Amino acid sequence: MPTTLSYTLVITGAPWASQAPQTALNVAQELINANHRIDRVFLYGEGIHLASALSTPPSDEKHWPRAWSEFLTEHSIPAVACVASALRRGLVDEAEQARYELPASNLRAPFEIAGLGEWVEGSIQSDRVLYFHGSA
Amino acid sequence: MSTLIVVDQAPYGSWTGREALDMTLSLAAFDQPAALLFTGAGVNWLRTGQAPEHVGQKSAEKNLSAAPIFGVEELLACSESCQRYGLDDANMIGGINQVASTAETMNRYHQVVFAG
Repeated sequence: MPTTLSYTLVITGAPWASQAPQTALNVAQELINANHRIDRVFLYGEGIHLASALSTPPSDEKHWPRAWSEFLTEHSIPAVACVASALRRGLVDEAEQARYELPASNLRAPFEIAGLGEWVEGSIQSDRVLYFHGSA
Repeated sequence: MSTLIVVDQAPYGSWTGREALDMTLSLAAFDQPAALLFTGAGVNWLRTGQAPEHVGQKSAEKNLSAAPIFGVEELLACSESCQRYGLDDANMIGGINQVASTAETMNRYHQVVFAG
């Protein structure tokens, strides 16, 4: 019986600016195929752009935010965008929209917005934490 | 579970170092042992007399000096990088431990996180 490990994936590179979300999705799919568990996906820094409901790439290009959404929903994996990273970059859910009296919200389901505590918890609980960075 | 956060880029040119500092402070806030290692151009975070108001940013120096108060266990710097960028006790913020081997330092921690 092969060993099963639990993972937290941290994505800090943005789609269309880096390869980070694509690489992370390929790794995530292989982890599931190999019967590992993904506890949580955490978007940080530029990585939060992956959770935008407004990304609209040309129709002949892969839609990374949608591909990630579908993967997360299919496997019931919680995914969180860091609130400080998200607010700075204009990614808000309805609660933050109301709090800051903003004209719109744009968080893609099933992503949620929460604090760095989610990352700390993942770091403590998961057997492995993998980071997917954009180019420096 | 101890975590080492590695900052290898100079302050102000990108946001990654600042967000790495936030990660470190967050670990400390949840009582998780955390330390910062500055290496390469990242050692410039440690220079005294920074005047970032001219580029509309907050002082990294000031943010960093708060780290021990928030429970960050150690501030480490690669000694070779310090030498390369002309940093010594005279122009570095206090409380920094210089390390000769970053590889050995990383081995002392359960997790190592590079600033994005």
